[in-house]
Amino acid sequence: MGAKTTLPTLDFHSQEIMQQYHQLLPAYEKIASHVSGQLKNFFDEAGIILAAIEHRVKTESSLAGKLLKKGGKYKDIYDITDITGLRVITFYIDDVDKVASALERLYEIDWENSIDKRKAHEIDSFGYLSLHYICRIPESAYSDPKYPEINKIRFEVQMRTVLQHAWANMNHDTGYKSGVEIPKAYLRNMSRIAGMLELIDDEFSRIRRELSDYRRRVQKLVASGNLSDVQLDGDSFKSYLSIKPFEPLTKRIASINQAEIQEVDLSKFLPVFKTLGFNTLGDIDAMVKAYSDAAYQIACFQIGLTDLDILSSSVAPQDLCTAYILKNGGGIMGLKQMLDTLNGPSEVNDAMAEFLMEQSKDLPFMNQ
Amino acid sequence: MEVFIEKENNQVTASLIGRLDTPASLEIAPQMDSLKEDAGGTIILDCSQLEYISSSGLRIFLALRKAAAEKGGKVIVRSISNEIRSVFMMTGFLNLFEIQ
Repeated sequence: MGAKTTLPTLDFHSQEIMQQYHQLLPAYEKIASHVSGQLKNFFDEAGIILAAIEHRVKTESSLAGKLLKKGGKYKDIYDITDITGLRVITFYIDDVDKVASALERLYEIDWENSIDKRKAHEIDSFGYLSLHYICRIPESAYSDPKYPEINKIRFEVQMRTVLQHAWANMNHDTGYKSGVEIPKAYLRNMSRIAGMLELIDDEFSRIRRELSDYRRRVQKLVASGNLSDVQLDGDSFKSYLSIKPFEPLTKRIASINQAEIQEVDLSKFLPVFKTLGFNTLGDIDAMVKAYSDAAYQIACFQIGLTDLDILSSSVAPQDLCTAYILKNGGGIMGLKQMLDTLNGPSEVNDAMAEFLMEQSKDLPFMNQ
Repeated sequence: MEVFIEKENNQVTASLIGRLDTPASLEIAPQMDSLKEDAGGTIILDCSQLEYISSSGLRIFLALRKAAAEKGGKVIVRSISNEIRSVFMMTGFLNLFEIQ
Protein backbone atom coordinates (compact mmCIF):
# COMPACT_ATOMS: atom_id res chain seq x y z
CA MET A 1 0.00 0.00 0.00
CA GLY A 2 1.42 3.39 -1.02
CA ALA A 3 1.86 6.24 1.41
CA LYS A 4 -1.08 8.63 1.44
CA THR A 5 -0.17 12.08 0.12
CA THR A 6 -0.96 14.89 2.49
CA LEU A 7 -2.68 17.65 0.57
CA PRO A 8 -2.40 21.28 1.60
CA THR A 9 -5.46 22.89 3.17
CA LEU A 10 -7.27 24.76 0.43
CA ASP A 11 -9.87 27.53 0.55
CA PHE A 12 -13.46 26.75 -0.38
CA HIS A 13 -13.10 27.91 -4.01
CA SER A 14 -10.03 25.76 -4.57
CA GLN A 15 -11.77 22.79 -2.95
CA GLU A 16 -14.60 23.19 -5.47
CA ILE A 17 -12.03 23.13 -8.28
CA MET A 18 -10.48 19.98 -6.79
CA GLN A 19 -13.92 18.36 -6.81
CA GLN A 20 -14.35 19.26 -10.50
CA TYR A 21 -10.90 17.76 -11.14
CA HIS A 22 -11.96 14.41 -9.67
CA GLN A 23 -15.14 14.39 -11.76
CA LEU A 24 -13.27 15.23 -14.95
CA LEU A 25 -10.24 12.99 -14.38
CA PRO A 26 -11.40 10.28 -16.87
CA ALA A 27 -11.88 12.96 -19.54
CA TYR A 28 -8.38 14.37 -18.91
CA GLU A 29 -6.94 10.89 -19.24
CA LYS A 30 -8.93 10.26 -22.39
CA ILE A 31 -7.62 13.48 -23.97
CA ALA A 32 -4.04 12.53 -23.07
CA SER A 33 -4.28 9.09 -24.68
CA HIS A 34 -6.33 10.23 -27.69
CA VAL A 35 -4.08 13.18 -28.58
CA SER A 36 -0.92 11.17 -27.99
CA GLY A 37 -2.13 8.39 -30.31
CA GLN A 38 -3.38 10.83 -32.92
CA LEU A 39 -0.08 12.74 -32.99
CA LYS A 40 1.92 9.52 -33.24
CA ASN A 41 -0.12 8.37 -36.25
CA PHE A 42 0.02 11.81 -37.85
CA PHE A 43 3.83 12.06 -37.64
CA ASP A 44 4.32 8.43 -38.70
CA GLU A 45 2.29 9.09 -41.84
CA ALA A 46 4.09 12.38 -42.48
CA GLY A 47 7.45 10.62 -42.17
CA ILE A 48 8.60 12.87 -39.33
CA ILE A 49 10.75 10.90 -36.91
CA LEU A 50 10.35 12.08 -33.34
CA ALA A 51 12.45 11.37 -30.28
CA ALA A 52 9.35 10.93 -28.09
CA ILE A 53 5.76 11.88 -27.40
CA GLU A 54 5.06 12.01 -23.68
CA HIS A 55 1.78 12.62 -21.92
CA ARG A 56 0.65 12.97 -18.34
CA VAL A 57 -2.34 14.13 -16.31
CA LYS A 58 -1.51 16.43 -13.43
CA THR A 59 -1.69 14.63 -10.09
CA GLU A 60 -4.01 15.63 -7.32
CA SER A 61 -1.13 16.88 -5.15
CA SER A 62 0.42 18.87 -7.98
CA LEU A 63 -2.90 20.57 -8.71
CA ALA A 64 -3.45 21.26 -5.02
CA GLY A 65 -0.02 22.91 -4.87
CA LYS A 66 -0.88 25.05 -7.86
CA LEU A 67 -4.22 26.07 -6.34
CA LEU A 68 -2.56 26.92 -3.05
CA LYS A 69 -0.25 29.36 -4.85
CA LYS A 70 -2.69 30.93 -7.29
CA GLY A 71 -6.12 29.37 -6.82
CA GLY A 72 -7.87 32.75 -6.93
CA LYS A 73 -6.71 33.23 -10.50
CA TYR A 74 -9.01 30.51 -11.79
CA LYS A 75 -12.74 30.89 -12.16
CA ASP A 76 -13.23 27.15 -12.52
CA ILE A 77 -11.32 24.01 -13.56
CA TYR A 78 -11.64 24.90 -17.26
CA ASP A 79 -9.34 27.91 -16.68
CA ILE A 80 -6.47 25.58 -15.82
CA THR A 81 -4.98 24.59 -19.13
CA ASP A 82 -2.18 22.21 -18.18
CA ILE A 83 -4.01 19.45 -16.33
CA THR A 84 -3.54 17.30 -19.42
CA GLY A 85 -0.05 17.93 -20.74
CA LEU A 86 1.81 16.46 -23.69
CA ARG A 87 5.37 16.90 -24.79
CA VAL A 88 6.55 16.32 -28.32
CA ILE A 89 10.32 15.97 -28.47
CA THR A 90 11.98 16.29 -31.86
CA PHE A 91 15.50 15.49 -33.02
CA TYR A 92 15.81 18.60 -35.17
CA ILE A 93 14.99 22.22 -34.43
CA ASP A 94 13.25 22.58 -37.83
CA ASP A 95 10.82 19.84 -36.83
CA VAL A 96 9.52 21.85 -33.87
CA ASP A 97 7.80 24.17 -36.36
CA LYS A 98 6.44 21.18 -38.29
CA VAL A 99 4.94 19.81 -35.09
CA ALA A 100 3.42 23.23 -34.38
CA SER A 101 1.87 23.29 -37.87
CA ALA A 102 0.41 19.83 -37.29
CA LEU A 103 -1.19 20.97 -34.02
CA GLU A 104 -2.65 24.02 -35.76
CA ARG A 105 -4.18 21.70 -38.32
CA LEU A 106 -5.55 19.16 -35.84
CA TYR A 107 -6.73 21.32 -32.92
CA GLU A 108 -8.08 24.73 -32.00
CA ILE A 109 -5.20 26.79 -30.64
CA ASP A 110 -5.77 29.24 -27.83
CA TRP A 111 -3.30 31.82 -29.13
CA GLU A 112 -3.76 34.16 -26.20
CA ASN A 113 -2.37 31.57 -23.79
CA SER A 114 0.13 29.83 -26.06
CA ILE A 115 3.76 30.80 -25.55
CA ASP A 116 6.76 30.79 -27.84
CA LYS A 117 9.59 30.89 -25.36
CA ARG A 118 12.04 30.81 -28.23
CA LYS A 119 11.12 34.43 -28.91
CA ALA A 120 11.02 35.49 -25.29
CA HIS A 121 14.79 35.79 -24.91
CA GLU A 122 16.78 38.99 -25.02
CA ILE A 123 19.46 38.99 -27.71
CA ASP A 124 22.20 38.50 -25.12
CA SER A 125 20.60 35.80 -22.99
CA PHE A 126 20.25 32.06 -23.34
CA GLY A 127 18.02 29.65 -21.49
CA TYR A 128 14.80 27.66 -21.70
CA LEU A 129 13.61 27.36 -25.29
CA SER A 130 10.31 25.69 -25.98
CA LEU A 131 7.07 26.28 -27.78
CA HIS A 132 3.89 25.75 -25.74
CA TYR A 133 0.48 25.54 -27.38
CA ILE A 134 -2.79 25.51 -25.49
CA CYS A 135 -5.18 23.40 -27.55
CA ARG A 136 -8.70 22.07 -27.64
CA ILE A 137 -10.10 19.16 -29.66
CA PRO A 138 -12.74 20.58 -32.03
CA GLU A 139 -16.06 18.73 -31.90
CA SER A 140 -15.99 18.45 -35.68
CA ALA A 141 -12.77 16.40 -35.41
CA TYR A 142 -13.50 14.09 -32.49
CA SER A 143 -16.08 13.65 -29.77
CA ASP A 144 -17.07 10.88 -27.42
CA PRO A 145 -20.51 10.71 -25.75
CA LYS A 146 -18.84 9.00 -22.79
CA TYR A 147 -16.78 12.14 -22.20
CA PRO A 148 -18.99 15.10 -23.17
CA GLU A 149 -16.51 17.62 -21.67
CA ILE A 150 -13.68 16.49 -23.93
CA ASN A 151 -14.24 19.33 -26.41
CA LYS A 152 -14.41 21.94 -23.68
CA ILE A 153 -11.19 21.08 -21.88
CA ARG A 154 -8.00 22.78 -22.96
CA PHE A 155 -4.67 20.95 -22.80
CA GLU A 156 -1.04 21.95 -23.18
CA VAL A 157 1.44 20.66 -25.72
CA GLN A 158 5.12 21.49 -25.26
CA MET A 159 7.36 21.19 -28.29
CA ARG A 160 11.14 21.09 -28.05
CA THR A 161 14.23 19.33 -29.31
CA VAL A 162 15.99 16.57 -27.40
CA LEU A 163 18.78 18.98 -26.49
CA GLN A 164 16.31 21.61 -25.24
CA HIS A 165 14.58 18.81 -23.35
CA ALA A 166 17.84 17.68 -21.72
CA TRP A 167 18.70 21.24 -20.72
CA ALA A 168 15.21 21.93 -19.34
CA ASN A 169 15.22 18.70 -17.33
CA MET A 170 18.63 19.36 -15.82
CA ASN A 171 17.75 22.95 -15.06
CA HIS A 172 14.45 21.88 -13.53
CA ASP A 173 16.13 19.16 -11.53
CA THR A 174 18.74 21.41 -9.98
CA GLY A 175 17.14 24.78 -10.24
CA TYR A 176 14.06 26.84 -10.10
CA LYS A 177 11.68 24.69 -8.09
CA SER A 178 14.07 24.24 -5.16
CA GLY A 179 12.97 27.46 -3.50
CA VAL A 180 16.57 28.28 -2.68
CA GLU A 181 18.25 31.28 -4.25
CA ILE A 182 20.43 29.98 -7.05
CA PRO A 183 24.11 30.96 -7.13
CA LYS A 184 24.96 33.28 -10.03
CA ALA A 185 27.83 31.04 -11.14
CA TYR A 186 25.36 28.16 -11.62
CA LEU A 187 22.98 30.34 -13.63
CA ARG A 188 25.85 31.59 -15.77
CA ASN A 189 27.06 28.02 -16.43
CA MET A 190 23.55 26.81 -17.33
CA SER A 191 23.22 29.82 -19.62
CA ARG A 192 26.54 28.95 -21.30
CA ILE A 193 25.33 25.37 -21.87
CA ALA A 194 22.02 26.64 -23.26
CA GLY A 195 23.92 28.78 -25.76
CA MET A 196 26.09 25.84 -26.74
CA LEU A 197 23.12 23.50 -27.18
CA GLU A 198 21.37 26.12 -29.30
CA LEU A 199 24.41 26.16 -31.57
CA ILE A 200 24.48 22.35 -31.71
CA ASP A 201 20.76 22.23 -32.57
CA ASP A 202 21.40 24.66 -35.43
CA GLU A 203 24.39 22.60 -36.59
CA PHE A 204 22.36 19.35 -36.64
CA SER A 205 19.74 21.08 -38.77
CA ARG A 206 22.39 22.54 -41.06
CA ILE A 207 23.98 19.08 -41.53
CA ARG A 208 20.57 17.58 -42.32
CA ARG A 209 19.87 20.32 -44.87
CA GLU A 210 23.28 19.78 -46.52
CA LEU A 211 22.68 16.03 -46.66
CA SER A 212 19.29 16.60 -48.30
CA ASP A 213 20.92 18.98 -50.80
CA TYR A 214 23.58 16.37 -51.53
CA ARG A 215 20.93 13.68 -52.10
CA ARG A 216 19.02 15.96 -54.45
CA ARG A 217 22.21 16.78 -56.40
CA VAL A 218 23.04 13.06 -56.68
CA GLN A 219 19.53 12.23 -57.85
CA LYS A 220 19.79 14.97 -60.48
CA LEU A 221 23.17 13.70 -61.71
CA VAL A 222 21.90 10.11 -61.81
CA ALA A 223 18.79 11.18 -63.71
CA SER A 224 20.84 13.21 -66.20
CA GLY A 225 23.25 10.32 -66.76
CA ASN A 226 26.36 12.15 -65.47
CA LEU A 227 27.31 9.09 -63.47
CA SER A 228 31.06 9.61 -63.60
CA ASP A 229 30.61 12.76 -61.50
CA VAL A 230 28.90 10.87 -58.69
CA GLN A 231 31.02 9.37 -55.92
CA LEU A 232 29.99 5.86 -54.94
CA ASP A 233 28.42 5.82 -51.48
CA GLY A 234 25.27 4.56 -49.77
CA ASP A 235 23.12 7.49 -50.90
CA SER A 236 24.34 7.61 -54.47
CA PHE A 237 24.07 3.83 -54.87
CA LYS A 238 20.48 3.95 -53.64
CA SER A 239 19.68 6.64 -56.22
CA TYR A 240 21.45 4.58 -58.88
CA LEU A 241 19.42 1.49 -58.01
CA SER A 242 16.24 3.53 -58.41
CA ILE A 243 16.93 3.77 -62.17
CA LYS A 244 17.16 -0.05 -62.26
CA PRO A 245 20.55 -0.32 -63.98
CA PHE A 246 20.64 -4.13 -63.86
CA GLU A 247 17.08 -4.70 -65.07
CA PRO A 248 17.83 -5.21 -68.80
CA LEU A 249 20.40 -7.90 -67.94
CA THR A 250 18.10 -9.49 -65.33
CA LYS A 251 15.31 -9.76 -67.91
CA ARG A 252 17.71 -11.15 -70.48
CA ILE A 253 18.88 -13.82 -68.01
CA ALA A 254 15.29 -14.58 -66.98
CA SER A 255 14.36 -15.11 -70.62
CA ILE A 256 16.73 -18.12 -70.77
CA ASN A 257 14.16 -20.23 -68.87
CA GLN A 258 11.20 -17.81 -69.00
CA ALA A 259 11.85 -17.42 -65.30
CA GLU A 260 9.87 -15.42 -62.79
CA ILE A 261 11.98 -12.61 -61.24
CA GLN A 262 11.87 -11.99 -57.50
CA GLU A 263 12.84 -8.37 -56.85
CA VAL A 264 15.24 -8.11 -53.92
CA ASP A 265 17.22 -5.33 -52.28
CA LEU A 266 20.51 -4.95 -54.15
CA SER A 267 22.16 -2.54 -51.72
CA LYS A 268 24.36 -5.34 -50.37
CA PHE A 269 26.32 -5.16 -53.64
CA LEU A 270 27.72 -1.74 -52.66
CA PRO A 271 30.59 -3.20 -50.59
CA VAL A 272 31.31 -5.65 -53.42
CA PHE A 273 31.69 -2.78 -55.91
CA LYS A 274 33.84 -0.96 -53.37
CA THR A 275 36.18 -3.95 -53.03
CA LEU A 276 36.40 -4.10 -56.81
CA GLY A 277 37.87 -0.59 -56.63
CA PHE A 278 34.93 1.29 -58.11
CA ASN A 279 34.82 4.93 -57.00
CA THR A 280 31.96 6.42 -58.99
CA LEU A 281 28.61 5.30 -60.32
CA GLY A 282 30.19 5.73 -63.75
CA ASP A 283 32.55 2.85 -62.92
CA ILE A 284 29.59 0.54 -62.25
CA ASP A 285 27.76 1.76 -65.32
CA ALA A 286 30.83 1.11 -67.47
CA MET A 287 31.03 -2.42 -66.04
CA VAL A 288 27.35 -3.07 -66.83
CA LYS A 289 27.95 -2.01 -70.44
CA ALA A 290 31.22 -3.90 -70.84
CA TYR A 291 30.38 -7.14 -69.02
CA SER A 292 26.68 -7.79 -69.66
CA ASP A 293 27.39 -10.25 -72.46
CA ALA A 294 29.89 -12.12 -70.28
CA ALA A 295 27.41 -12.22 -67.38
CA TYR A 296 24.77 -13.56 -69.75
CA GLN A 297 27.15 -16.31 -70.89
CA ILE A 298 27.68 -17.35 -67.25
CA ALA A 299 23.93 -17.39 -66.59
CA CYS A 300 23.24 -19.38 -69.78
CA PHE A 301 25.81 -21.97 -68.78
CA GLN A 302 24.50 -22.20 -65.22
CA ILE A 303 20.76 -22.36 -65.73
CA GLY A 304 20.31 -23.03 -69.44
CA LEU A 305 20.24 -26.77 -68.96
CA THR A 306 18.11 -26.72 -65.82
CA ASP A 307 14.38 -26.21 -65.33
CA LEU A 308 14.94 -23.43 -62.80
CA ASP A 309 12.29 -20.86 -63.57
CA ILE A 310 12.59 -18.57 -60.59
CA LEU A 311 15.42 -16.08 -60.13
CA SER A 312 16.20 -13.29 -57.76
CA SER A 313 17.10 -9.92 -59.23
CA SER A 314 20.52 -10.24 -57.58
CA VAL A 315 21.54 -12.70 -60.30
CA ALA A 316 22.49 -9.94 -62.74
CA PRO A 317 24.88 -7.98 -60.49
CA GLN A 318 26.26 -11.26 -59.13
CA ASP A 319 27.07 -12.57 -62.61
CA LEU A 320 28.42 -9.17 -63.67
CA CYS A 321 30.80 -9.14 -60.71
CA THR A 322 31.82 -12.75 -61.42
CA ALA A 323 32.61 -11.89 -65.03
CA TYR A 324 34.50 -8.74 -64.04
CA ILE A 325 36.59 -10.57 -61.41
CA LEU A 326 37.49 -13.44 -63.72
CA LYS A 327 38.26 -11.23 -66.68
CA ASN A 328 40.48 -8.99 -64.58
CA GLY A 329 42.55 -11.78 -63.05
CA GLY A 330 40.86 -11.89 -59.66
CA GLY A 331 40.61 -15.68 -59.86
CA ILE A 332 39.24 -17.89 -57.11
CA MET A 333 40.41 -15.51 -54.37
CA GLY A 334 38.51 -12.63 -55.97
CA LEU A 335 35.37 -14.75 -56.28
CA LYS A 336 35.66 -15.90 -52.67
CA GLN A 337 36.03 -12.29 -51.54
CA MET A 338 32.84 -11.41 -53.44
CA LEU A 339 30.93 -14.33 -51.88
CA ASP A 340 32.28 -13.51 -48.41
CA THR A 341 31.13 -9.91 -48.82
CA LEU A 342 27.70 -10.91 -50.09
CA ASN A 343 26.94 -13.90 -47.91
CA GLY A 344 29.23 -13.46 -44.94
CA PRO A 345 32.64 -15.11 -44.55
CA SER A 346 32.43 -18.89 -44.70
CA GLU A 347 34.64 -21.80 -45.67
CA VAL A 348 32.01 -23.07 -48.08
CA ASN A 349 32.52 -19.93 -50.15
CA ASP A 350 35.83 -21.51 -51.22
CA ALA A 351 33.94 -24.41 -52.77
CA MET A 352 31.45 -22.04 -54.41
CA ALA A 353 34.27 -19.89 -55.78
CA GLU A 354 35.92 -22.97 -57.26
CA PHE A 355 32.56 -24.03 -58.70
CA LEU A 356 32.11 -20.61 -60.35
CA MET A 357 35.65 -20.68 -61.68
CA GLU A 358 35.23 -24.16 -63.09
CA GLN A 359 31.96 -23.23 -64.80
CA SER A 360 33.28 -20.02 -66.30
CA LYS A 361 36.83 -20.76 -67.34
CA ASP A 362 35.96 -22.13 -70.78
CA LEU A 363 33.23 -19.67 -71.62
CA PRO A 364 33.82 -17.52 -74.73
CA PHE A 365 34.27 -14.25 -72.83
CA MET A 366 37.28 -15.66 -71.00
CA ASN A 367 39.07 -16.17 -74.28
CA GLN A 368 38.11 -12.89 -75.97
CA MET B 1 9.90 -36.75 -49.67
CA GLU B 2 9.40 -36.39 -45.94
CA VAL B 3 9.23 -33.43 -43.59
CA PHE B 4 9.65 -33.63 -39.84
CA ILE B 5 8.63 -30.58 -37.88
CA GLU B 6 9.83 -29.92 -34.38
CA LYS B 7 8.80 -26.92 -32.30
CA GLU B 8 10.74 -25.61 -29.37
CA ASN B 9 10.13 -22.27 -27.66
CA ASN B 10 10.25 -19.58 -30.33
CA GLN B 11 11.92 -21.82 -32.87
CA VAL B 12 10.63 -24.39 -35.32
CA THR B 13 12.82 -26.81 -37.24
CA ALA B 14 11.65 -28.52 -40.42
CA SER B 15 13.89 -31.39 -41.52
CA LEU B 16 13.55 -32.02 -45.25
CA ILE B 17 14.41 -35.52 -46.40
CA GLY B 18 14.62 -36.64 -50.02
CA ARG B 19 14.11 -34.82 -53.33
CA LEU B 20 12.14 -31.59 -53.32
CA ASP B 21 10.92 -31.67 -56.90
CA THR B 22 7.59 -30.32 -58.19
CA PRO B 23 5.35 -33.25 -57.10
CA ALA B 24 7.08 -33.37 -53.70
CA SER B 25 6.61 -29.61 -53.31
CA LEU B 26 2.87 -30.03 -53.85
CA GLU B 27 2.83 -32.89 -51.38
CA ILE B 28 4.58 -31.03 -48.57
CA ALA B 29 3.02 -27.60 -49.27
CA PRO B 30 0.37 -27.87 -46.48
CA GLN B 31 3.01 -28.83 -43.91
CA MET B 32 5.33 -26.05 -45.01
CA ASP B 33 2.44 -23.58 -45.08
CA SER B 34 1.73 -24.37 -41.45
CA LEU B 35 5.22 -23.07 -40.60
CA LYS B 36 4.04 -19.56 -41.48
CA GLU B 37 2.19 -19.50 -38.16
CA ASP B 38 5.62 -19.51 -36.51
CA ALA B 39 7.15 -16.99 -38.90
CA GLY B 40 7.41 -14.43 -36.11
CA GLY B 41 10.21 -16.50 -34.57
CA THR B 42 13.00 -18.52 -36.14
CA ILE B 43 12.29 -21.13 -38.78
CA ILE B 44 15.16 -23.53 -39.41
CA LEU B 45 15.08 -25.53 -42.60
CA ASP B 46 17.38 -28.46 -41.98
CA CYS B 47 18.57 -29.56 -45.40
CA SER B 48 21.21 -32.07 -44.31
CA GLN B 49 19.18 -34.88 -45.97
CA LEU B 50 17.80 -32.85 -48.86
CA GLU B 51 19.08 -34.35 -52.11
CA TYR B 52 17.61 -32.03 -54.73
CA ILE B 53 15.59 -28.81 -54.98
CA SER B 54 13.53 -27.60 -57.92
CA SER B 55 12.03 -24.15 -58.61
CA SER B 56 8.88 -25.26 -56.80
CA GLY B 57 10.98 -26.03 -53.74
CA LEU B 58 12.68 -22.63 -53.98
CA ARG B 59 9.23 -21.01 -54.09
CA ILE B 60 8.33 -22.72 -50.81
CA PHE B 61 11.51 -21.40 -49.20
CA LEU B 62 10.77 -17.95 -50.61
CA ALA B 63 7.19 -17.94 -49.29
CA LEU B 64 8.52 -18.72 -45.80
CA ARG B 65 11.09 -15.93 -46.09
CA LYS B 66 8.34 -13.50 -47.08
CA ALA B 67 6.13 -14.55 -44.16
CA ALA B 68 9.07 -14.22 -41.76
CA ALA B 69 9.94 -10.76 -43.12
CA GLU B 70 6.34 -9.64 -42.58
CA LYS B 71 6.20 -10.98 -39.04
CA GLY B 72 9.70 -9.92 -38.00
CA GLY B 73 11.10 -13.45 -37.84
CA LYS B 74 13.85 -15.14 -39.82
CA VAL B 75 14.51 -18.26 -41.87
CA ILE B 76 17.77 -20.14 -41.48
CA VAL B 77 18.75 -22.71 -44.08
CA ARG B 78 20.96 -25.26 -42.38
CA SER B 79 23.41 -27.87 -43.72
CA ILE B 80 22.82 -27.66 -47.46
CA SER B 81 24.96 -29.74 -49.74
CA ASN B 82 27.25 -28.00 -52.20
CA GLU B 83 24.98 -29.12 -55.02
CA ILE B 84 21.96 -27.37 -53.56
CA ARG B 85 24.08 -24.41 -52.52
CA SER B 86 25.08 -24.01 -56.17
CA VAL B 87 21.37 -23.94 -57.14
CA PHE B 88 20.88 -21.19 -54.59
CA MET B 89 23.81 -19.30 -56.03
CA MET B 90 22.84 -19.69 -59.69
CA THR B 91 19.36 -18.35 -58.96
CA GLY B 92 20.58 -15.51 -56.76
CA PHE B 93 18.90 -17.04 -53.70
CA LEU B 94 22.10 -17.54 -51.77
CA ASN B 95 22.15 -14.09 -50.23
CA LEU B 96 18.41 -14.08 -49.47
CA PHE B 97 18.75 -16.55 -46.61
CA GLU B 98 20.92 -16.96 -43.58
CA ILE B 99 22.77 -20.13 -44.47
CA GLN B 100 24.49 -22.16 -41.76
